[in-house]
Amino acid sequence: MRGVLVAAIVAMTWWPVSVPAQTAPRGVAKASAKGAVPRASDGKPDLTGVWQGGSNQRGSWEEANAGVGVGGTGSNPSAPATLSSNDRPTGREPAPYQPWAAKKVLESFNKRGIDDPTALCLPPGLPRAVTLGLFPQQIIQTPRQIVILYEYMNVFRVIPLNAKHPDDLLPSYMGDSVGHWEGDTLVVDVIGFNDKTWLAGTGTFHSEALHITERYTRVDKDQINYEVTMEDPNVLTKPWTLQSTIMLREGTRLEEYVCAENNLDPGYYEKLLKDGVNFSRQH
Amino acid sequence: MARRISWACGLAVVLCFLAIPLLAHHSFGAEYDANRPITLTGVVTKIEWTNPHSYFYMDVKDDKGNVANWKFEGYGPGVLYRTGWKKDATMKPGDTVTVFGWRARDGTNWAHSREVTLPGGKKLFFGPPSGTGDGGNTPAVEVR
Repeated sequence: MRGVLVAAIVAMTWWPVSVPAQTAPRGVAKASAKGAVPRASDGKPDLTGVWQGGSNQRGSWEEANAGVGVGGTGSNPSAPATLSSNDRPTGREPAPYQPWAAKKVLESFNKRGIDDPTALCLPPGLPRAVTLGLFPQQIIQTPRQIVILYEYMNVFRVIPLNAKHPDDLLPSYMGDSVGHWEGDTLVVDVIGFNDKTWLAGTGTFHSEALHITERYTRVDKDQINYEVTMEDPNVLTKPWTLQSTIMLREGTRLEEYVCAENNLDPGYYEKLLKDGVNFSRQH
Repeated sequence: MARRISWACGLAVVLCFLAIPLLAHHSFGAEYDANRPITLTGVVTKIEWTNPHSYFYMDVKDDKGNVANWKFEGYGPGVLYRTGWKKDATMKPGDTVTVFGWRARDGTNWAHSREVTLPGGKKLFFGPPSGTGDGGNTPAVEVR
């Protein structure tokens, strides 16, 4: 009990550390006594490591997730759920969809997301692969390119630095990424998407015109501040920007994730619809 | 006890601010009814450590001695492994466990498993809280 109390106090102490991700000027690293930012041989911040997106808690994976992250409040399993990556983050503006597109997003929400592409074991796309919290991602940094491996759906990104996008891109789930450093911030430009993924929340579809700009700023040993701007003139009224934090998980290794092994959910959905079970909601 | 309860309430408030985005691959709300929580005790008969979700089965005896086999769904092996579960060690066929979760909408002997109380009394989460993967309480767009 005492240990949990200490954890709660520590968590309160940590909370403000994660907030500047949403308020600090872009590219400004927040000084922290928690540990210096490791540097690569070229002097750039070294992002190499295994990380957890969508979290703001320090510590090992089990410390950060066993009692709290994976499990609601930990002390009360029936308490309201913590936010999922399918939820709109609390206190943030609604996604700026054009009216016709917002209607389509709402239809998915009302159907409780049974049309989620990942339910068919399709790749999550971006920024969803980065911000989801249940599965780790591994960053491997070299002076010329950065590789990110995602356990969820076993997808990967190869991000050449100071390079141009190829001019013959085939539309893809994870898009084509190129990066460069702006001071201590890694900026990644992504285009070449297909239109088969969701962005950040149930039903948040997009077109092949999607253009994503990511900014990764490692503010101390344990934390990357992540800012992503999504532009898609076919469905959005203006650029949509979200901030999140990505936390270092030392000692964690990526596991195999073979989604097609035993994916029963689409069959469940089909049976529910066939049997006329009402699970939809109206907004 | 009173101190423990008030302390727990305080902790809950603290944790409300630690919003940790998760991802549930499937829609909880389509398959399960958050208004039908259930707690069952029984004997584990089979465990399937599979992606994207794991399943286990349990024989549950009712007041009249009739035994029914229930199916429970939870996280995949990677998520469970990282949060304290070990295949063929933490929970095995033959173990008597207590499961808290929510019943499936189709009314069969099937439920989402949230918390499992193991033979030694240790509690571990086998699946996410209710309401994950189905969009939560607020849609991504403004409702006009």
